[in-house]
Amino acid sequence: MDLDMVKYLAELGKLEFSDEELVKTANEMTDIIDLMDTVKEIDITYDALKDNHNAYLNDLREDVPAPSMETAKVLQNAVNTNNCFVVPKVVEQSLSKGVVIKWTYLQ
Amino acid sequence: MDVSSMTIRDMRTALDERKISATELEGEYIANIKKYDDKLQSYITVTEELAMKQAEQAQKLIDDGKAMPLTGIPMAIKDNICTEGVKTTCASKMLENFVPVYNATVMEKLESQNIIMLGKTSMDEFAMGGSTQTSAFAKTKNPYDLNCVPGGSSGGSAAAVAGGLAPAALGSDTGGSIRQPSAFCGVTGIKPTYSRVSRYGLVAFASSLDQIGPIAKNSYDCAMILNAICGYDPHDGTSAKVNVPDFTEKLGQSVKGVKIALPKEFFGEGIDSEIKSAVLKAADEYKAMGAEIIECEMPSLKYAVPAYYLLACAEAASNLSRYDGIKYGHRTANAGSYEELIIKSRSEGFGDEVKRRILLGNYALSSGYYDAYYRKALALRQLIREEYAAIFEKCDVILTPTTPTVAYTPEMTSDPVQMYQADICTVTVNIAGLPAVSTTCGYNANGMPIGMSVIGKKFDEATVLQVSDAFEQGFTPVMPKL
Repeated sequence: MDLDMVKYLAELGKLEFSDEELVKTANEMTDIIDLMDTVKEIDITYDALKDNHNAYLNDLREDVPAPSMETAKVLQNAVNTNNCFVVPKVVEQSLSKGVVIKWTYLQ
Repeated sequence: MDVSSMTIRDMRTALDERKISATELEGEYIANIKKYDDKLQSYITVTEELAMKQAEQAQKLIDDGKAMPLTGIPMAIKDNICTEGVKTTCASKMLENFVPVYNATVMEKLESQNIIMLGKTSMDEFAMGGSTQTSAFAKTKNPYDLNCVPGGSSGGSAAAVAGGLAPAALGSDTGGSIRQPSAFCGVTGIKPTYSRVSRYGLVAFASSLDQIGPIAKNSYDCAMILNAICGYDPHDGTSAKVNVPDFTEKLGQSVKGVKIALPKEFFGEGIDSEIKSAVLKAADEYKAMGAEIIECEMPSLKYAVPAYYLLACAEAASNLSRYDGIKYGHRTANAGSYEELIIKSRSEGFGDEVKRRILLGNYALSSGYYDAYYRKALALRQLIREEYAAIFEKCDVILTPTTPTVAYTPEMTSDPVQMYQADICTVTVNIAGLPAVSTTCGYNANGMPIGMSVIGKKFDEATVLQVSDAFEQGFTPVMPKL
Protein backbone atom coordinates (compact mmCIF):
# COMPACT_ATOMS: atom_id res chain seq x y z
CA MET A 1 0.00 0.00 0.00
CA ASP A 2 1.48 3.35 -0.97
CA LEU A 3 1.75 6.38 1.28
CA ASP A 4 -0.96 8.29 -0.59
CA MET A 5 -3.46 5.50 0.07
CA VAL A 6 -2.59 5.44 3.79
CA LYS A 7 -3.02 9.23 3.91
CA TYR A 8 -6.38 8.93 2.15
CA LEU A 9 -7.60 6.22 4.55
CA ALA A 10 -6.34 8.23 7.53
CA GLU A 11 -8.28 11.21 6.29
CA LEU A 12 -11.44 9.10 6.02
CA GLY A 13 -10.88 7.87 9.59
CA LYS A 14 -10.02 11.35 10.95
CA LEU A 15 -6.55 10.22 11.98
CA GLU A 16 -3.12 11.74 11.47
CA PHE A 17 0.28 10.06 11.35
CA SER A 18 3.82 11.45 11.53
CA ASP A 19 6.01 10.79 8.47
CA GLU A 20 7.74 7.97 10.31
CA GLU A 21 4.44 6.40 11.43
CA LEU A 22 3.12 6.71 7.90
CA VAL A 23 5.93 4.59 6.44
CA LYS A 24 5.62 1.94 9.18
CA THR A 25 1.82 1.83 8.78
CA ALA A 26 2.09 1.54 4.98
CA ASN A 27 4.37 -1.49 5.35
CA GLU A 28 2.05 -3.15 7.88
CA MET A 29 -1.02 -2.42 5.77
CA THR A 30 0.67 -3.95 2.71
CA ASP A 31 1.10 -7.23 4.60
CA ILE A 32 -2.45 -7.06 5.96
CA ILE A 33 -3.94 -6.44 2.49
CA ASP A 34 -1.92 -9.40 1.14
CA LEU A 35 -3.76 -11.56 3.68
CA MET A 36 -7.14 -9.96 2.80
CA ASP A 37 -6.48 -10.65 -0.89
CA THR A 38 -7.03 -14.35 -0.19
CA VAL A 39 -10.78 -13.69 -0.51
CA LYS A 40 -10.27 -12.87 -4.20
CA GLU A 41 -9.36 -16.52 -4.89
CA ILE A 42 -12.94 -17.72 -4.47
CA ASP A 43 -15.66 -16.98 -7.01
CA ILE A 44 -18.87 -16.40 -5.02
CA THR A 45 -21.46 -13.64 -4.93
CA TYR A 46 -23.31 -12.12 -2.00
CA ASP A 47 -27.06 -12.70 -2.12
CA ALA A 48 -28.84 -10.13 0.05
CA LEU A 49 -32.10 -12.11 -0.10
CA LYS A 50 -30.51 -15.00 1.77
CA ASP A 51 -30.01 -12.82 4.84
CA ASN A 52 -33.73 -12.26 5.29
CA HIS A 53 -34.08 -15.39 7.45
CA ASN A 54 -32.72 -13.35 10.38
CA ALA A 55 -36.16 -11.82 10.73
CA TYR A 56 -35.81 -11.23 14.47
CA LEU A 57 -32.94 -8.81 13.87
CA ASN A 58 -33.77 -5.14 13.87
CA ASP A 59 -36.99 -5.81 15.73
CA LEU A 60 -37.76 -2.22 16.61
CA ARG A 61 -39.65 -1.13 19.72
CA GLU A 62 -42.93 0.71 19.57
CA ASP A 63 -42.48 4.48 19.95
CA VAL A 64 -43.51 5.28 23.51
CA PRO A 65 -42.96 8.77 24.93
CA ALA A 66 -40.61 8.65 27.93
CA PRO A 67 -38.31 11.09 29.70
CA SER A 68 -34.83 11.24 28.18
CA MET A 69 -31.57 11.39 30.09
CA GLU A 70 -31.01 14.51 32.20
CA THR A 71 -28.72 17.14 30.65
CA ALA A 72 -26.25 16.89 33.53
CA LYS A 73 -25.83 13.17 32.89
CA VAL A 74 -25.51 13.64 29.15
CA LEU A 75 -22.73 16.18 29.73
CA GLN A 76 -21.03 14.30 32.57
CA ASN A 77 -18.24 12.84 30.43
CA ALA A 78 -17.62 15.87 28.21
CA VAL A 79 -14.41 17.79 28.93
CA ASN A 80 -15.58 21.24 27.90
CA THR A 81 -19.11 22.19 28.84
CA ASN A 82 -21.21 25.27 29.51
CA ASN A 83 -24.48 23.45 30.01
CA CYS A 84 -23.92 22.22 26.47
CA PHE A 85 -21.16 20.63 24.40
CA VAL A 86 -18.59 23.28 23.52
CA VAL A 87 -16.42 23.05 20.41
CA PRO A 88 -13.99 25.43 18.69
CA LYS A 89 -15.72 27.82 16.34
CA VAL A 90 -16.85 26.22 13.11
CA VAL A 91 -17.47 29.43 11.11
CA GLU A 92 -15.04 31.72 9.34
CA GLN A 93 -13.82 35.09 10.67
CA SER A 94 -17.07 36.89 9.86
CA LEU A 95 -18.25 36.31 13.45
CA SER A 96 -16.58 37.93 16.44
CA LYS A 97 -13.33 36.39 17.60
CA GLY A 98 -13.57 33.54 20.11
CA VAL A 99 -17.27 32.93 19.54
CA VAL A 100 -18.58 29.75 21.19
CA ILE A 101 -20.82 27.66 18.99
CA LYS A 102 -23.31 25.72 21.04
CA TRP A 103 -24.83 22.47 19.84
CA THR A 104 -28.22 23.83 20.67
CA TYR A 105 -30.16 20.69 19.81
CA LEU A 106 -28.45 18.89 22.66
CA GLN A 107 -29.06 21.55 25.32
CA MET B 1 -11.66 -22.20 53.67
CA ASP B 2 -9.63 -21.79 50.45
CA VAL B 3 -12.06 -19.78 48.37
CA SER B 4 -9.84 -19.49 45.29
CA SER B 5 -10.40 -23.14 44.40
CA MET B 6 -14.17 -23.03 44.98
CA THR B 7 -16.64 -23.07 42.09
CA ILE B 8 -19.67 -20.81 42.09
CA ARG B 9 -21.81 -23.87 42.63
CA ASP B 10 -19.77 -24.71 45.78
CA MET B 11 -20.04 -21.11 46.95
CA ARG B 12 -23.81 -21.13 46.55
CA THR B 13 -24.05 -24.19 48.80
CA ALA B 14 -21.57 -22.78 51.32
CA LEU B 15 -23.42 -19.43 51.44
CA ASP B 16 -26.83 -21.05 51.80
CA GLU B 17 -25.59 -23.43 54.51
CA ARG B 18 -23.93 -20.46 56.33
CA LYS B 19 -20.49 -22.09 56.07
CA ILE B 20 -19.18 -18.81 54.68
CA SER B 21 -20.63 -15.31 54.41
CA ALA B 22 -20.76 -13.03 51.38
CA THR B 23 -18.53 -10.53 53.21
CA GLU B 24 -15.94 -13.22 53.92
CA LEU B 25 -15.96 -14.25 50.27
CA GLU B 26 -15.57 -10.66 49.17
CA GLY B 27 -12.78 -10.08 51.68
CA GLU B 28 -10.84 -13.17 50.56
CA TYR B 29 -11.00 -12.17 46.89
CA ILE B 30 -10.03 -8.55 47.54
CA ALA B 31 -7.09 -9.88 49.61
CA ASN B 32 -6.06 -12.14 46.70
CA ILE B 33 -6.26 -9.21 44.30
CA LYS B 34 -4.09 -7.06 46.60
CA LYS B 35 -1.59 -9.87 47.00
CA TYR B 36 -1.24 -11.07 43.41
CA ASP B 37 -2.52 -8.52 40.94
CA ASP B 38 0.68 -6.50 40.94
CA LYS B 39 2.27 -9.36 39.05
CA LEU B 40 -0.80 -10.58 37.17
CA GLN B 41 -2.14 -7.15 36.08
CA SER B 42 -5.61 -8.56 35.45
CA TYR B 43 -7.64 -5.61 36.77
CA ILE B 44 -7.78 -2.02 35.55
CA THR B 45 -10.09 -0.90 38.36
CA VAL B 46 -10.72 -2.68 41.68
CA THR B 47 -14.02 -1.66 43.29
CA GLU B 48 -13.25 -2.59 46.88
CA GLU B 49 -15.66 -0.21 48.62
CA LEU B 50 -18.53 -1.03 46.30
CA ALA B 51 -17.82 -4.76 46.70
CA MET B 52 -17.97 -4.43 50.47
CA LYS B 53 -21.34 -2.66 50.32
CA GLN B 54 -22.73 -5.19 47.84
CA ALA B 55 -21.51 -8.08 50.02
CA GLU B 56 -23.34 -6.68 53.05
CA GLN B 57 -26.55 -6.27 51.04
CA ALA B 58 -26.21 -9.78 49.61
CA GLN B 59 -25.66 -11.30 53.04
CA LYS B 60 -28.81 -9.61 54.30
CA LEU B 61 -30.80 -11.22 51.49
CA ILE B 62 -29.23 -14.60 52.22
CA ASP B 63 -30.08 -14.22 55.92
CA ASP B 64 -33.66 -13.31 54.96
CA GLY B 65 -33.92 -16.45 52.79
CA LYS B 66 -34.23 -14.34 49.63
CA ALA B 67 -31.04 -15.45 47.86
CA MET B 68 -31.07 -15.98 44.09
CA PRO B 69 -28.56 -18.30 42.36
CA LEU B 70 -25.85 -15.61 42.12
CA THR B 71 -26.60 -13.64 45.30
CA GLY B 72 -23.33 -13.00 47.16
CA ILE B 73 -21.15 -14.40 44.35
CA PRO B 74 -18.12 -12.21 43.53
CA MET B 75 -17.52 -11.48 39.85
CA ALA B 76 -15.13 -9.45 37.69
CA ILE B 77 -16.41 -7.52 34.69
CA LYS B 78 -14.55 -6.85 31.44
CA ASP B 79 -13.81 -3.15 31.09
CA ASN B 80 -15.87 -2.71 27.91
CA ILE B 81 -19.16 -3.40 29.73
CA CYS B 82 -20.79 -0.21 31.03
CA THR B 83 -21.04 -0.05 34.81
CA GLU B 84 -22.93 2.96 36.15
CA GLY B 85 -20.65 5.15 38.26
CA VAL B 86 -17.60 2.91 37.70
CA LYS B 87 -14.95 3.77 35.10
CA THR B 88 -15.24 1.80 31.85
CA THR B 89 -12.06 2.41 29.88
CA CYS B 90 -12.04 -0.27 27.17
CA ALA B 91 -8.31 -0.32 28.06
CA SER B 92 -7.93 2.78 25.88
CA LYS B 93 -6.54 6.24 26.53
CA MET B 94 -9.61 7.34 24.60
CA LEU B 95 -11.90 6.32 27.49
CA GLU B 96 -9.40 6.68 30.35
CA ASN B 97 -11.80 8.83 32.40
CA PHE B 98 -15.14 7.63 31.06
CA VAL B 99 -17.69 6.92 33.78
CA PRO B 100 -20.93 5.48 32.33
CA VAL B 101 -24.17 7.07 33.41
CA TYR B 102 -26.09 3.85 32.88
CA ASN B 103 -25.59 0.13 33.33
CA ALA B 104 -25.30 -2.41 30.53
CA THR B 105 -28.32 -4.73 30.53
CA VAL B 106 -26.13 -7.62 31.70
CA MET B 107 -25.10 -5.53 34.72
CA GLU B 108 -28.75 -4.74 35.52
CA LYS B 109 -29.46 -8.46 35.39
CA LEU B 110 -26.49 -9.42 37.57
CA GLU B 111 -27.20 -6.63 40.06
CA SER B 112 -30.82 -7.76 40.30
CA GLN B 113 -29.36 -11.02 41.67
CA ASN B 114 -27.07 -9.05 44.03
CA ILE B 115 -23.69 -10.23 42.80
CA ILE B 116 -20.54 -8.64 44.24
CA MET B 117 -18.54 -6.74 41.61
CA LEU B 118 -14.83 -7.01 42.40
CA GLY B 119 -13.69 -4.71 39.61
CA LYS B 120 -13.13 -4.17 35.90
CA THR B 121 -10.69 -6.39 34.07
CA SER B 122 -8.08 -5.55 31.48
CA MET B 123 -8.45 -6.37 27.81
CA ASP B 124 -7.01 -5.51 24.43
CA GLU B 125 -7.83 -1.91 23.55
CA PHE B 126 -11.45 -1.79 22.32
CA ALA B 127 -11.32 -5.64 22.33
CA MET B 128 -8.99 -5.58 19.32
CA GLY B 129 -6.34 -8.22 19.86
CA GLY B 130 -5.66 -11.67 21.21
CA SER B 131 -3.03 -10.99 23.86
CA THR B 132 -4.20 -8.17 26.19
CA GLN B 133 -0.90 -6.50 25.29
CA THR B 134 -2.65 -3.66 23.42
CA SER B 135 -4.20 -2.55 26.75
CA ALA B 136 -3.19 1.01 27.55
CA PHE B 137 -3.29 0.32 31.31
CA ALA B 138 -2.61 -3.30 32.30
CA LYS B 139 -0.74 -5.75 30.11
CA THR B 140 -2.02 -8.90 31.81
CA LYS B 141 0.20 -11.97 32.31
CA ASN B 142 -0.70 -15.64 32.09
CA PRO B 143 -1.05 -17.22 35.57
CA TYR B 144 0.53 -20.45 34.25
CA ASP B 145 3.65 -18.60 33.10
CA LEU B 146 4.04 -14.91 33.86
CA ASN B 147 6.33 -14.60 30.81
CA CYS B 148 3.43 -15.49 28.54
CA VAL B 149 0.31 -13.61 27.45
CA PRO B 150 -3.13 -14.60 28.83
CA GLY B 151 -4.72 -14.33 25.38
CA GLY B 152 -7.36 -11.77 24.58
CA SER B 153 -9.18 -9.72 24.24
CA SER B 154 -10.82 -10.84 27.53
CA GLY B 155 -7.37 -11.69 28.93
CA GLY B 156 -7.89 -9.90 32.24
CA SER B 157 -11.12 -11.79 32.90
CA ALA B 158 -9.58 -15.20 32.06
CA ALA B 159 -6.37 -14.54 34.02
CA ALA B 160 -8.32 -13.31 37.07
CA VAL B 161 -10.42 -16.50 37.11
CA ALA B 162 -7.41 -18.79 36.53
CA GLY B 163 -5.30 -16.97 39.14
CA GLY B 164 -7.98 -17.09 41.84
CA LEU B 165 -8.63 -13.33 41.75
CA ALA B 166 -12.30 -13.86 40.81
CA PRO B 167 -14.43 -17.00 40.78
CA ALA B 168 -16.01 -15.91 37.50
CA ALA B 169 -16.04 -13.00 35.11
CA LEU B 170 -17.87 -11.55 32.14
CA GLY B 171 -16.03 -11.26 28.85
CA SER B 172 -17.04 -10.38 25.32
CA ASP B 173 -16.31 -12.31 22.13
CA THR B 174 -16.18 -10.82 18.63
CA GLY B 175 -13.78 -13.31 17.02
CA GLY B 176 -12.74 -15.56 19.91
CA SER B 177 -12.16 -13.08 22.73
CA ILE B 178 -13.81 -15.26 25.40
CA ARG B 179 -12.72 -18.68 24.10
CA GLN B 180 -9.08 -17.99 23.22
CA PRO B 181 -8.07 -16.46 26.61
CA SER B 182 -10.07 -19.20 28.35
CA ALA B 183 -7.96 -21.76 26.46
CA PHE B 184 -4.67 -19.94 27.20
CA CYS B 185 -5.52 -19.62 30.93
CA GLY B 186 -6.98 -23.09 31.47
CA VAL B 187 -10.53 -22.01 32.30
CA THR B 188 -13.97 -22.41 30.69
CA GLY B 189 -15.69 -19.70 28.65
CA ILE B 190 -18.77 -19.63 26.45
CA LYS B 191 -19.70 -17.34 23.60
CA PRO B 192 -23.49 -17.52 23.41
CA THR B 193 -25.49 -17.51 20.17
CA TYR B 194 -25.51 -14.05 18.57
CA SER B 195 -28.58 -12.19 19.93
CA ARG B 196 -28.93 -14.46 23.00
CA VAL B 197 -27.44 -11.84 25.37
CA SER B 198 -28.24 -8.14 25.08
CA ARG B 199 -25.38 -5.97 23.78
CA TYR B 200 -26.90 -2.82 25.30
CA GLY B 201 -24.10 -1.13 27.21
CA LEU B 202 -21.33 -3.21 25.63
CA VAL B 203 -18.92 -0.75 23.99
CA ALA B 204 -19.32 -1.65 20.32
CA PHE B 205 -16.51 -3.16 18.26
CA ALA B 206 -18.29 -5.09 15.46
CA SER B 207 -22.02 -5.06 16.09
CA SER B 208 -22.94 -8.09 13.95
CA LEU B 209 -20.37 -10.27 15.75
CA ASP B 210 -20.07 -9.04 19.39
CA GLN B 211 -21.55 -11.16 22.22
CA ILE B 212 -21.12 -11.02 26.00
CA GLY B 213 -20.53 -14.30 27.83
CA PRO B 214 -19.16 -15.80 31.06
CA ILE B 215 -15.70 -17.14 31.92
CA ALA B 216 -15.53 -19.44 34.95
CA LYS B 217 -13.86 -22.55 36.36
CA ASN B 218 -16.18 -24.98 34.60
CA SER B 219 -19.22 -25.39 32.40
CA TYR B 220 -21.67 -25.59 35.30
CA ASP B 221 -20.61 -22.17 36.58
CA CYS B 222 -20.86 -20.76 33.05
CA ALA B 223 -24.40 -22.17 32.81
CA MET B 224 -25.38 -20.51 36.11
CA ILE B 225 -24.20 -17.10 34.84
CA LEU B 226 -25.77 -17.63 31.43
CA ASN B 227 -29.09 -18.27 33.17
CA ALA B 228 -28.81 -14.80 34.67
CA ILE B 229 -27.72 -12.75 31.66
CA CYS B 230 -29.70 -14.16 28.69
CA GLY B 231 -33.01 -12.90 27.40
CA TYR B 232 -34.77 -10.43 25.14
CA ASP B 233 -33.99 -6.77 25.76
CA PRO B 234 -36.00 -3.97 24.16
CA HIS B 235 -32.84 -1.81 24.33
CA ASP B 236 -31.07 -4.10 21.82
CA GLY B 237 -32.85 -4.34 18.47
CA THR B 238 -30.89 -7.48 17.65
CA SER B 239 -31.70 -9.37 20.85
CA ALA B 240 -33.77 -12.48 20.20
CA LYS B 241 -37.27 -13.17 21.48
CA VAL B 242 -36.60 -16.83 22.14
CA ASN B 243 -37.17 -19.08 25.11
CA VAL B 244 -34.33 -19.15 27.65
CA PRO B 245 -34.02 -22.64 29.15
CA ASP B 246 -32.29 -23.52 32.42
CA PHE B 247 -28.80 -24.10 31.03
CA THR B 248 -27.85 -26.31 34.00
CA GLU B 249 -30.64 -28.80 33.26
CA LYS B 250 -28.76 -31.01 30.77
CA LEU B 251 -25.50 -30.92 32.74
CA GLY B 252 -24.59 -34.31 34.14
CA GLN B 253 -26.65 -36.10 31.50
CA SER B 254 -24.90 -38.83 29.49
CA VAL B 255 -23.55 -37.97 26.05
CA LYS B 256 -24.41 -41.46 24.82
CA GLY B 257 -25.71 -41.14 21.26
CA VAL B 258 -24.63 -37.51 20.89
CA LYS B 259 -23.11 -36.99 17.44
CA ILE B 260 -19.85 -35.04 17.52
CA ALA B 261 -18.30 -33.88 14.23
CA LEU B 262 -14.59 -33.20 13.68
CA PRO B 263 -13.97 -30.91 10.67
CA LYS B 264 -10.66 -32.06 9.20
CA GLU B 265 -9.51 -28.53 8.28
CA PHE B 266 -9.31 -27.63 12.00
CA PHE B 267 -6.74 -30.37 12.49
CA GLY B 268 -4.51 -29.52 9.53
CA GLU B 269 -1.34 -27.57 8.90
CA GLY B 270 -0.59 -24.77 11.37
CA ILE B 271 -2.18 -26.48 14.37
CA ASP B 272 0.37 -27.43 17.03
CA SER B 273 0.79 -31.24 17.21
CA GLU B 274 0.33 -31.37 21.00
CA ILE B 275 -2.96 -29.48 20.66
CA LYS B 276 -4.13 -31.73 17.84
CA SER B 277 -3.45 -34.88 19.84
CA ALA B 278 -5.05 -33.49 23.04
CA VAL B 279 -8.30 -32.66 21.20
CA LEU B 280 -8.33 -36.00 19.36
CA LYS B 281 -7.75 -37.76 22.68
CA ALA B 282 -10.78 -35.91 24.06
CA ALA B 283 -12.77 -37.14 21.02
CA ASP B 284 -11.71 -40.70 21.93
CA GLU B 285 -12.96 -40.13 25.47
CA TYR B 286 -16.31 -38.94 24.15
CA LYS B 287 -16.43 -42.10 22.02
CA ALA B 288 -15.75 -44.18 25.13
CA MET B 289 -18.69 -42.37 26.80
CA GLY B 290 -20.96 -43.53 23.97
CA ALA B 291 -20.87 -40.49 21.70
CA GLU B 292 -20.66 -40.99 17.95
CA ILE B 293 -17.67 -39.33 16.26
CA ILE B 294 -18.20 -38.15 12.69
CA GLU B 295 -15.65 -36.71 10.27
CA CYS B 296 -16.67 -33.69 8.23
CA GLU B 297 -15.27 -30.89 6.07
CA MET B 298 -15.31 -27.11 6.14
CA PRO B 299 -13.53 -26.00 2.96
CA SER B 300 -14.26 -22.29 3.53
CA LEU B 301 -12.02 -22.23 6.63
CA LYS B 302 -9.07 -21.02 4.54
CA TYR B 303 -10.95 -17.77 3.81
CA ALA B 304 -12.33 -17.30 7.34
CA VAL B 305 -9.63 -15.04 8.80
CA PRO B 306 -9.64 -12.44 5.99
CA ALA B 307 -13.46 -12.57 5.77
CA TYR B 308 -13.67 -11.97 9.52
CA TYR B 309 -11.20 -9.08 9.53
CA LEU B 310 -12.90 -7.38 6.59
CA LEU B 311 -16.32 -7.58 8.25
CA ALA B 312 -15.15 -6.75 11.77
CA CYS B 313 -12.93 -3.84 10.74
CA ALA B 314 -15.56 -2.36 8.42
CA GLU B 315 -17.99 -2.33 11.35
CA ALA B 316 -15.31 -1.08 13.75
CA ALA B 317 -14.38 1.84 11.47
CA SER B 318 -18.03 2.88 11.55
CA ASN B 319 -18.59 2.23 15.29
CA LEU B 320 -15.45 4.07 16.35
CA SER B 321 -16.37 7.17 14.40
CA ARG B 322 -18.37 8.22 17.48
CA TYR B 323 -15.14 9.15 19.31
CA ASP B 324 -14.74 12.79 18.44
CA GLY B 325 -13.40 14.28 21.68
CA ILE B 326 -16.59 16.29 22.15
CA LYS B 327 -19.33 14.33 23.90
CA TYR B 328 -17.10 11.97 25.88
CA GLY B 329 -13.67 10.42 25.64
CA HIS B 330 -10.20 11.92 25.24
CA ARG B 331 -10.14 15.55 24.10
CA THR B 332 -6.92 17.03 22.81
CA ALA B 333 -5.53 20.14 24.47
CA ASN B 334 -4.02 21.30 21.18
CA ALA B 335 -6.86 22.00 18.78
CA GLY B 336 -7.27 25.30 16.97
CA SER B 337 -10.26 24.29 14.88
CA TYR B 338 -13.22 21.93 15.04
CA GLU B 339 -11.66 19.60 12.46
CA GLU B 340 -8.35 19.59 14.32
CA LEU B 341 -10.14 18.81 17.59
CA ILE B 342 -11.54 15.60 16.14
CA ILE B 343 -8.37 14.49 14.31
CA LYS B 344 -6.01 15.18 17.22
CA SER B 345 -8.34 13.71 19.85
CA ARG B 346 -8.65 10.50 17.85
CA SER B 347 -4.96 10.30 16.96
CA GLU B 348 -3.89 10.81 20.58
CA GLY B 349 -6.61 8.60 22.08
CA PHE B 350 -6.42 5.46 19.91
CA GLY B 351 -3.53 2.99 20.01
CA ASP B 352 -1.74 1.50 16.98
CA GLU B 353 -3.87 -1.65 16.57
CA VAL B 354 -7.13 0.31 16.73
CA LYS B 355 -5.81 2.72 14.09
CA ARG B 356 -4.76 -0.14 11.83
CA ARG B 357 -8.25 -1.64 12.03
CA ILE B 358 -9.91 1.69 11.26
CA LEU B 359 -7.69 2.01 8.18
CA LEU B 360 -8.48 -1.56 7.07
CA GLY B 361 -12.21 -1.02 7.60
CA ASN B 362 -12.18 2.17 5.58
CA TYR B 363 -10.19 0.43 2.85
CA ALA B 364 -12.72 -2.42 2.64
CA LEU B 365 -15.64 0.02 2.45
CA SER B 366 -14.15 2.65 0.19
CA SER B 367 -15.17 3.24 -3.39
CA GLY B 368 -13.43 0.87 -5.79
CA TYR B 369 -12.69 -1.74 -3.12
CA TYR B 370 -16.15 -2.38 -1.63
CA ASP B 371 -17.14 -5.19 -4.01
CA ALA B 372 -13.73 -6.88 -3.98
CA TYR B 373 -13.42 -6.94 -0.20
CA TYR B 374 -16.49 -6.09 1.92
CA ARG B 375 -19.11 -7.62 -0.39
CA LYS B 376 -16.92 -10.69 -0.91
CA ALA B 377 -16.64 -11.04 2.86
CA LEU B 378 -20.45 -10.89 3.10
CA ALA B 379 -20.63 -13.68 0.52
CA LEU B 380 -18.13 -15.71 2.53
CA ARG B 381 -20.24 -15.18 5.65
CA GLN B 382 -23.13 -16.81 3.78
CA LEU B 383 -20.91 -19.67 2.61
CA ILE B 384 -19.56 -20.30 6.12
CA ARG B 385 -23.12 -20.32 7.52
CA GLU B 386 -24.18 -22.78 4.82
CA GLU B 387 -21.26 -25.09 5.52
CA TYR B 388 -22.08 -25.10 9.24
CA ALA B 389 -25.75 -25.79 8.46
CA ALA B 390 -24.74 -28.76 6.28
CA ILE B 391 -22.48 -30.17 9.02
CA PHE B 392 -25.22 -29.76 11.64
CA GLU B 393 -27.59 -31.86 9.52
CA LYS B 394 -25.39 -34.81 10.49
CA CYS B 395 -24.33 -33.98 14.05
CA ASP B 396 -25.31 -32.32 17.34
CA VAL B 397 -22.05 -30.50 18.08
CA ILE B 398 -18.67 -29.86 16.46
CA LEU B 399 -15.35 -30.37 18.27
CA THR B 400 -12.24 -28.33 17.33
CA PRO B 401 -9.08 -26.96 18.94
CA THR B 402 -9.68 -23.44 20.35
CA THR B 403 -6.26 -22.13 19.32
CA PRO B 404 -3.49 -23.22 16.94
CA THR B 405 -0.83 -22.77 19.68
CA VAL B 406 -0.67 -22.49 23.45
CA ALA B 407 0.05 -19.10 25.10
CA TYR B 408 3.15 -17.36 23.76
CA THR B 409 5.46 -14.54 24.87
CA PRO B 410 4.53 -10.87 24.26
CA GLU B 411 7.32 -10.51 21.65
CA MET B 412 5.33 -12.80 19.36
CA THR B 413 2.57 -10.19 19.11
CA SER B 414 4.57 -7.66 17.08
CA ASP B 415 3.45 -8.96 13.65
CA PRO B 416 -0.23 -8.05 13.06
CA VAL B 417 -0.68 -10.59 10.25
CA GLN B 418 0.61 -13.45 12.39
CA MET B 419 -1.74 -12.35 15.17
CA TYR B 420 -4.74 -12.24 12.83
CA GLN B 421 -3.96 -15.72 11.48
CA ALA B 422 -3.90 -17.09 15.04
CA ASP B 423 -7.70 -16.50 15.17
CA ILE B 424 -8.32 -19.27 12.62
CA CYS B 425 -10.03 -21.67 15.05
CA THR B 426 -12.51 -19.20 16.55
CA VAL B 427 -13.71 -16.63 13.97
CA THR B 428 -16.11 -18.84 11.99
CA VAL B 429 -18.30 -19.25 15.08
CA ASN B 430 -18.84 -15.49 15.27
CA ILE B 431 -19.31 -15.21 11.51
CA ALA B 432 -22.08 -17.83 11.71
CA GLY B 433 -23.51 -16.47 15.00
CA LEU B 434 -23.24 -19.86 16.76
CA PRO B 435 -22.67 -20.73 20.43
CA ALA B 436 -19.34 -22.31 21.43
CA VAL B 437 -17.61 -23.15 24.68
CA SER B 438 -13.88 -23.58 25.24
CA THR B 439 -12.75 -25.85 28.03
CA THR B 440 -9.37 -27.26 29.01
CA CYS B 441 -8.58 -30.70 27.55
CA GLY B 442 -4.93 -31.05 28.56
CA TYR B 443 -1.54 -29.38 29.07
CA ASN B 444 1.51 -29.34 26.82
CA ALA B 445 4.97 -30.54 27.82
CA ASN B 446 5.66 -27.18 29.50
CA GLY B 447 2.48 -27.30 31.53
CA MET B 448 0.61 -24.71 29.46
CA PRO B 449 -3.16 -25.29 29.11
CA ILE B 450 -4.72 -26.57 25.87
CA GLY B 451 -8.32 -25.64 25.06
CA MET B 452 -10.90 -27.42 22.93
CA SER B 453 -14.07 -25.88 21.56
CA VAL B 454 -17.53 -27.42 21.43
CA ILE B 455 -19.63 -25.59 18.84
CA GLY B 456 -23.41 -25.95 18.77
CA LYS B 457 -26.49 -25.15 16.74
CA LYS B 458 -28.04 -21.70 17.15
CA PHE B 459 -29.62 -21.30 20.60
CA ASP B 460 -28.46 -24.78 21.66
CA GLU B 461 -26.08 -23.66 24.42
CA ALA B 462 -27.64 -26.36 26.61
CA THR B 463 -26.17 -29.19 24.50
CA VAL B 464 -22.83 -27.40 24.06
CA LEU B 465 -22.50 -27.11 27.85
CA GLN B 466 -23.73 -30.69 28.38
CA VAL B 467 -20.92 -31.96 26.12
CA SER B 468 -18.15 -29.80 27.66
CA ASP B 469 -19.38 -30.66 31.17
CA ALA B 470 -19.26 -34.39 30.37
CA PHE B 471 -15.56 -34.10 29.55
CA GLU B 472 -14.84 -31.96 32.63
CA GLN B 473 -16.34 -34.64 34.89
CA GLY B 474 -13.44 -36.96 34.05
CA PHE B 475 -10.72 -34.30 33.83
CA THR B 476 -8.56 -33.05 36.70
CA PRO B 477 -7.42 -29.47 36.06
CA VAL B 478 -3.98 -28.33 37.27
CA MET B 479 -4.24 -24.99 39.07
CA PRO B 480 -1.48 -22.42 38.44
CA LYS B 481 0.69 -21.22 41.33
CA LEU B 482 1.21 -17.49 41.61
